[in-house]
Amino acid sequence: MNNASLHQFSTLTVILLMLAFYGGTYLMTLGIRKKKEDADAFMVSNHRVGFGIGAASMTATWIWAASFYAAATSGYTYGVSGPIHYGLWGALMILFIYPFGRRFRKLAPNAHTLGELIHARHGASSQLILALSNLLGSIISLMVNFTAAGALVSVLSPLSFQVGVIFAGVGVLLYTLWSGFRASVLTDFAQLVALMAIAVVIIPAVFFAMGGPSELVAGLDNLTAEQADFFSVDAILNQGAPFFVAVLAYAIGNQTISQRLFAVNEDHIKPTFLTATVGYGAIVIGLGMIGLMALTLGIEPLNGDMNNLIPQMVSGYLPPLFIALFFILVIGSLSSTADSDLSALSAIMMADVYGKNIARGKADPQRMLLVGRLTMIIATAVGIVFASFSLDILVMLVFVGALWGAIVFPVIASCFWSRVTNAAFTTSVIVAMVTFCLARFEWLPLTGVIGLGFEVLASIGGGTIIGLMVFGFLGRTAGFIAGVLALVAMLVFATDFLRDYTVLLASLTAYGTSTLVCVVMSLASRERFDFDCIRERVGDYDDHLADEESDEATGDLAPAPLATQH
Amino acid sequence: MTTLFAFYVLIWPALTLGVLVLICRAVLRDRREARRQHRQLV
Repeated sequence: MNNASLHQFSTLTVILLMLAFYGGTYLMTLGIRKKKEDADAFMVSNHRVGFGIGAASMTATWIWAASFYAAATSGYTYGVSGPIHYGLWGALMILFIYPFGRRFRKLAPNAHTLGELIHARHGASSQLILALSNLLGSIISLMVNFTAAGALVSVLSPLSFQVGVIFAGVGVLLYTLWSGFRASVLTDFAQLVALMAIAVVIIPAVFFAMGGPSELVAGLDNLTAEQADFFSVDAILNQGAPFFVAVLAYAIGNQTISQRLFAVNEDHIKPTFLTATVGYGAIVIGLGMIGLMALTLGIEPLNGDMNNLIPQMVSGYLPPLFIALFFILVIGSLSSTADSDLSALSAIMMADVYGKNIARGKADPQRMLLVGRLTMIIATAVGIVFASFSLDILVMLVFVGALWGAIVFPVIASCFWSRVTNAAFTTSVIVAMVTFCLARFEWLPLTGVIGLGFEVLASIGGGTIIGLMVFGFLGRTAGFIAGVLALVAMLVFATDFLRDYTVLLASLTAYGTSTLVCVVMSLASRERFDFDCIRERVGDYDDHLADEESDEATGDLAPAPLATQH
Repeated sequence: MTTLFAFYVLIWPALTLGVLVLICRAVLRDRREARRQHRQLV
């Protein structure tokens, strides 16, 4: 088994599998295609996506190809608790955003992006910071997913890496281009059904083919003490903690999530996101168990590449049919995320860039659609080029991660606290990015008083994260108490210690600095914002929805279409 | 110990199956509702 190579499909088989997948997906979208799409539906469907489609779409979007590989790697590296420390925190990213999502939706029921809400709250500079972070995040995600397609095709067939990248890029673009978000959520459902059905079959199949529970327990002798410990400190510190820090940042910084928050029927936000949390956790942790199985069997990853673990286990223990199913599993997961990224990118360019900053309240819905479709084509081309040339995006990743961390507090505070100003938002993010760079790249020596200063900022960051999480579910007082307790605990335990973990220190510093600057500047301001203004300033771009809403006579104030607002 | 580990590994596909059934039923309900209101599912 250790020396076994992966099963190889013929070129024809892989092409047929890809054609079947992308052809079937494309045919599905023909059923919902309208000759004349409207801009709002292209970005968020009708704001009334049902619970089933919403939950399926959220789950499918959040599961990308890397989820399986990374969960299996975590299981293989950290043993028994490894898959949990990958899948659980990823799932909590979905869970922890919904209380804030309900607030976003209440403030701006007809928004398409979080940036629109921030534009209505603060103006262009804050909105563009958020839009930029969303834009970079989706481009990176797109590139990573296309890369995964290339890697899968090159590993399982004679076809080259570039062929896989181009196939995935063109396939996803074709079925998303015309109907945008509507096509994305509809195909997400089909992709998720395939993905879940395959996961339900593959996990037990590998488990029993390798010898079942008795073989797994016998193989526990191959594990180190840390790997065999369910409460491994090593796993918590190296896998769980960095993910925990990122829980809110990923959720706030990702337009694919906000798009679904604004698309799902408002009454169904909670069940939709709870179901997606459980669905994501179950699939990803389950596939991560294959990494644990490989570890107990003493299997070495082929060519030392951890990404080969799952294909290796499937190839080694199951017949070729299962490898074809695994192929579809990965292509389905990466395509559902990539189409969501395309929809997210197009919505940002349509609403945040064109709608708010170029057309300035006089947006032409048909021109918006053109902007959205052109964005999709350009983004796909950029994703394919970046992926094909395997460009190093590490620096971009580092900056986007920091930016996401820096905007968490200002974005959330802006939606709950009337004193936060545009200057406080913008300044806090910029200062946070500067302090992040100082710590992350060690432009200042992290020793003595300077090191202590950064640890204090990071402790504030830790308090902010815990405080916001508790605040989301239990309210202001509980959140404040939890935040202060976390801050005190961090000051006691992290001082003279955290400086040795530069990445964690820098991330927490970004959170802490933006919180500190934002709070101080807001307290110094005399402005009070009327949150009711947001609902009036953020509306639909096409006429039809305003008509529908007034027909329903719900009693809510339906904002006029932005195309008619002056 | 064997039973515990079997449960630890197999609970995830079982949960996945449960969520799959829940989502499929909900989508069927959404579809019926959409037809009743003469509008598209998405």
